[in-house]
Amino acid sequence: MGVEDLQIIMAESLKSALKEISENKDATIIANGTDMMPRIRDEGLKVEKILDISALDKELSYINVDSNLIRIGAMTTVSEIGSSNVFNGSLNAFYEVVSKFGGPQIRNRATIGGNICSATSSEDFIPLLMALDASVVLQSVNGKRTLKLNNFVIGKRSVNRRNDEIMVEVQFSKPGDDYLSGFEKIGRRNILIINLINMAIVMSLKQRRVNDVRIALNRVSGKVPGRARLTEGFLNGKEIDGNIISSAREKLAEELKLSSDFRASADYRIHLAQAILEKLLNRFREGV
Amino acid sequence: MSNILISVKVNGTEREVLVEPEDRLIDVLRDDFGLKSPKEGCGTGDCGLCTVIMDGKPILSCITPAFQARGREIVTLEGLNNDPLMKNIETSFRDHHAAQCGFCTPAMEIMGYDLLKKVKKPSKEEVKVAISGTLCRCTGYYDIIDSIYDVGGTE
Repeated sequence: MGVEDLQIIMAESLKSALKEISENKDATIIANGTDMMPRIRDEGLKVEKILDISALDKELSYINVDSNLIRIGAMTTVSEIGSSNVFNGSLNAFYEVVSKFGGPQIRNRATIGGNICSATSSEDFIPLLMALDASVVLQSVNGKRTLKLNNFVIGKRSVNRRNDEIMVEVQFSKPGDDYLSGFEKIGRRNILIINLINMAIVMSLKQRRVNDVRIALNRVSGKVPGRARLTEGFLNGKEIDGNIISSAREKLAEELKLSSDFRASADYRIHLAQAILEKLLNRFREGV
Repeated sequence: MSNILISVKVNGTEREVLVEPEDRLIDVLRDDFGLKSPKEGCGTGDCGLCTVIMDGKPILSCITPAFQARGREIVTLEGLNNDPLMKNIETSFRDHHAAQCGFCTPAMEIMGYDLLKKVKKPSKEEVKVAISGTLCRCTGYYDIIDSIYDVGGTE
């Protein structure tokens, strides 16, 4: 890998992983490595000490529904989410994320915890979980704390994890059965892509009027993911029609503060975001 | 740098092997165990040619650290030599001339195998999805899709 003296600490249980991270605060945590391994090879990422938590799939791979709360263990793979029936109905967007995620072999290894903690704009679960107002559970030898996802992911490859903590779970309240959810991403092809922009929307329709809409994108300001609050505020209470959609598109362009990079210009990304917004709203109008 | 002794089940046999911290699973399979069916195409998780089965699921051995194989069960194409379903897949690939340079063939056959284990008679669309993470630069894919599709329902 990146350096000569690479030290690997292999944790075989959550208990030992918590102990190890409390004693090795400088360690880089690796789940199944689908993000980190290419970065080491392609981008020359330098790591000196790795805490391997891949064996924690025995403890942290689960999708539990406690009355209204859905709890997903950090080591749950994308494939496991795809083959669970928990997300049928109002959470259908989870299957849309899965079907557009990497390739089949990547889905068998990539974990939701790794996806969140990698915290790049290409991590497709982050917008959907933000639209669901999800929280992450962080654990250390001193106990657990729960943090809203939007306070956890604070920038590109930047999360509010204390260096003695391990992210163990993501959780959110299940929206009512009358809710609809959708996810779209756009890149240069359909599979194995790093998206240019993605968007998740969760909302319900009450007497054909938009209710409690939550719109989240992988980028709202620079490379930071978040909610499109201005557009949400505009849409709530309105009946979706052509005029409302075109006004919503303008609101979205107003609030997105994007930057250009080698993949796409800011203007093009905004154009794509508007197109996705229109597509999803039209879908919801037709009740799917 | 200190080496790590791992136990791993490879093609049905329990093995112990000393791996270096920076070794990838593909290095151990090809260099230590002499299993040459997993190919290194891109080395960065994009092409799918290093596909092997870990604990029953196809994964990419070029972006899997070797130390993460400890306690796991790995099956490569060599381990499926006597599997009736894989024999049918291989015959079908031959009949359809689905291998040209052959570099992607082991990975394509494993992805077909994984699909046919789960879905007895997949649609062509399901076949396309199954091989969507595995690149072929020769065939144009149609012969590969037909090979896997035609095995469906024959079991």
